[in-house]
Amino acid sequence: MKVPAIISSAVVGAALLLTSLLLVPGAQAHHSNSAFYVTKVITIKGVVKEFKWTNPHVWVILTVDDGKGNKVDWKAEGRPPGILARAGWTPKILQPGDVVTIDLSPAKDDSASGLIARVTKADGTILANAPPPTE
Amino acid sequence: MNIDKIIFSMILGGVGLCAQTTPPDFSGVYYPLNPFGRFAGGPRAGAPSQSQSQTQGPPPRPTASAPLSDGSRGRTPDEPSLTPEYMAKWEMISKTRIAGSPEYDLTAKCLPPGMPAMMSMAYGMEVMQSKDKITFFSELNDALRRVYLDGRKPSQKVLDDPTYAGYSTGHWEGDTLVVDTVALRDNTFIEGFTPHSDAMTVHERIRLKEPGLLEDIITVTDPKALTKPWETVKNYRKAKPGSGTDELREFACAEGLGEAK
Repeated sequence: MKVPAIISSAVVGAALLLTSLLLVPGAQAHHSNSAFYVTKVITIKGVVKEFKWTNPHVWVILTVDDGKGNKVDWKAEGRPPGILARAGWTPKILQPGDVVTIDLSPAKDDSASGLIARVTKADGTILANAPPPTE
Repeated sequence: MNIDKIIFSMILGGVGLCAQTTPPDFSGVYYPLNPFGRFAGGPRAGAPSQSQSQTQGPPPRPTASAPLSDGSRGRTPDEPSLTPEYMAKWEMISKTRIAGSPEYDLTAKCLPPGMPAMMSMAYGMEVMQSKDKITFFSELNDALRRVYLDGRKPSQKVLDDPTYAGYSTGHWEGDTLVVDTVALRDNTFIEGFTPHSDAMTVHERIRLKEPGLLEDIITVTDPKALTKPWETVKNYRKAKPGSGTDELREFACAEGLGEAK
């Protein structure tokens, strides 16, 4: 059966969109800070969907209400486990379901992702993105 | 005092000098001073500082997540002075970074940062020392360099086979370890993303400036890329045993490469 051209285009378009989303460099790629506007910080609040304690970056997948009735999964990238452990983080410090606020630098590619500046837990605990400076 | 006694005293003095020049022990885990600049875990990163805890107020919202490292503010006078050819390379790489590309970021590809950039040791350094060899380990990307102290020199085979860490030989001058590094790949950076040529060599003078504070005076020479040798000084504080920071953690960078696909 011949697929109507208009549907075909829509399918191809959706496939391209999906592909582009999967290939978004800001999304869970390992990259340098240059992927982010590091001197800008925005604040998002949501529910932890997943916390990945992995090298070379940890990831917080945060489900955020976009204010329009939609839920958006933000991908917040943090420094490596080694350095965050010295800043007080642990592999289980964030659990799915936790409500947290994340200050992060947005990705240059406009994807729903960013580089963590700090995470604030519901009880007010602040998780810094690096240990105190060595003096 | 007769001449025999004078000579005997000089010999004893010489023995004393020899005893004093027993090489110091650099072994231990170290952290560079202020590796992340002003954003390091301090107020800008959200961690309460001493002054804030005294004032009781909530820590201010951070205004940055990391130091700007895309070259968009140009170069500063204390950075290596590049020849026009290598300045053009730097500008080209800067454009890719401003655009958000990791194309020229070695560590983003889990490759070693290479010498001398690796001596930034932003995530910590472990020094392992024996009589004939001293090894510097970087937590960032599990990078390693060995400095041979047994008098060997780089062979032609070594010189023909450049590596990220290069080939380092050293000797003691009193309490100072003097190290020369050659056979370096030309795709690494001097620091940040400052490029260099295959003619780069690195000279270091490393000493314990005071107990627990290691100083590395690094001089980079590159007749093709630099208009003059470039000197930088790194300082590292030794972690105290039992402080919880005297052990580095495995980095296993490739764990994240799958995420990039």
